[in-house]
Amino acid sequence: MNDKDKPLLSVRNLTIHYITDNGVVKAVNDISFDLAKGETMGLVGETGAGKTTTALGIMNLIPNPPGKIINGEILVDGKNILEFNKYQTRKYRGNVASMIFQDPMTALNPILTVGEQIAEVSRYHNKLSKAESYVKAAEMLELVGIPSERINEYPHQFSGGMKQRVVIAIALACNPQLLLADEPTTALDVTIQAQVLALMGDLIKKYGTSMVLITHDLGVVTEICDRVAIMYAGQIVETGDLEAVYEHTKHPYTKGLFGSLPRISDKTSRLNPIDGLMPDPTNLPNGCPFHPRCPDKMPECESRVPANTEIEPGHFVRCLLYE
Amino acid sequence: MANKKNGQLRDIWRRLKRNRLAMVGLVILILIVLVAIFADVIAPYPYDLQNYSDVKQWPSSKYIFGTDNFGRDIFSRVIYGTRVSLQIGFISLSVGALVGSIFGAIAGYFGGWVDTVIMRFTDILMSIPKIVLAIAIASTLGPGLVNAMIAVAISSIPNFARVVRASTLTVKDQEYIEAAIAIGAGNSRVIFRHIFPNILAPIIVQATLGVGVSIILAASLSFLGLGVEPPTPEWGAMLSAARTYIRDEWYMVLFPGLAIMITVLALNLLGDGLRDALDPKLKN
Repeated sequence: MNDKDKPLLSVRNLTIHYITDNGVVKAVNDISFDLAKGETMGLVGETGAGKTTTALGIMNLIPNPPGKIINGEILVDGKNILEFNKYQTRKYRGNVASMIFQDPMTALNPILTVGEQIAEVSRYHNKLSKAESYVKAAEMLELVGIPSERINEYPHQFSGGMKQRVVIAIALACNPQLLLADEPTTALDVTIQAQVLALMGDLIKKYGTSMVLITHDLGVVTEICDRVAIMYAGQIVETGDLEAVYEHTKHPYTKGLFGSLPRISDKTSRLNPIDGLMPDPTNLPNGCPFHPRCPDKMPECESRVPANTEIEPGHFVRCLLYE
Repeated sequence: MANKKNGQLRDIWRRLKRNRLAMVGLVILILIVLVAIFADVIAPYPYDLQNYSDVKQWPSSKYIFGTDNFGRDIFSRVIYGTRVSLQIGFISLSVGALVGSIFGAIAGYFGGWVDTVIMRFTDILMSIPKIVLAIAIASTLGPGLVNAMIAVAISSIPNFARVVRASTLTVKDQEYIEAAIAIGAGNSRVIFRHIFPNILAPIIVQATLGVGVSIILAASLSFLGLGVEPPTPEWGAMLSAARTYIRDEWYMVLFPGLAIMITVLALNLLGDGLRDALDPKLKN
């Protein structure tokens, strides 16, 4: 394997639990995936499936206590970021990896100008002077489609979509190699969603940034991702490139997800939801966490956790049916 | 950039201006500060000039506030006293506010045992009445202007620590703080650059209201003989020296007392107004 094929991000057996008074919340359980340079992966799952916790883990931002990384390693460029000291972690955040938060309304500091918030990042990591960092901030604003005259305005003077553009500008200010976008379009309305997604797609292509896009919208994934990973109850149940997962869907949960989407071509009056609810993460069922809801359940599913099985090159499924 | 900052300040100023009482407080306070600055020009006599031919004179055109038992002009002494009282009030409060805010921010931001240690120590300081605490500190250090300031400063620390800790707790869980950490900002940067400016409003209010309390505290210390020493014209010390004559020459206590009252009232009116003007919930 030469240097080019080495993955930028490699998550190995990552397990993150939140230890609370009401029990241990098993948020992320033994997930592994790779992300190549310049590749975009969609991380899809229901609310509470552990998507955000995974992203926070990759930023090493898990609040501790109550959060705790029980097991696993996160290799970025071959280095395990969980073993970084305080200083290395600070250099890593924002410079190598950065994050786009879900809600642009709360992700910007209300009392600093947007220019200052963008400039701060490059001042911090690239040791630019104040004037230089403002020039850079103005460039970044133009890049995300905001006129640079607005550099001295405060977040409350911007609309939601504009704020998310500012958040994107902050995240990209130091040309990070890895971008974690945590439902970047959830708080926006549909037309703005499309604009912001297109912008993000253009920018990461331009800079060759790798991205993990967290979403619960399977449509968004097809627009900008190369690969997709489906999460359920803290596990990645199915992962592969878009075609593999969308066309050769294997895992019963993924099938259920696609089955529950409304189709414009079908005349149905009801949607087809997956029966049951997500299990309580403090009290996951034995064996495969999906078995209580699974239409293809076998007796073995109740006792044995399925292993990650590669059923075709690059297409992994975690289900006993395919082991 | 300065332009926009002024924009925000102008909003606060506009809201403050609508509050008549606060404006009265502000005007009085400005006058008091001017008096303190130009004390040399305003006062007709030096504060320590003893004129034994004019002892215990009632207010007249020559001595508009009368003279004390040493024949010193009370008007001049009240004027010079403004300097001393404002100095004690502002300096000691600034020191107290700075130290208290830093401790409060550290306690609120880091939590855990750091929080427990700082806040329990604060609780202990708060459980002692301010004046008793100040007396204890002042009597340990001995009387004098600087020691009085230290005593007042220390006794104002716990209030600030509480207010700042509480505000820090509400701000630190905001997503923009997490975002600041996610771009690689360190603890001190997060506290001073991202948290502090967001909690400035309660600190300013606490400070304005606190200056009044500090002035009274300093006057009380001087009254008890633990503060500023004679012949320095401190209002509390003047009250103390004049209290023996309250029966017949009550004007001697009236004017320093009025000076304290008006100053503190002005500060409180302004503080209340500022609290309303800075409260984002009242924004319109």
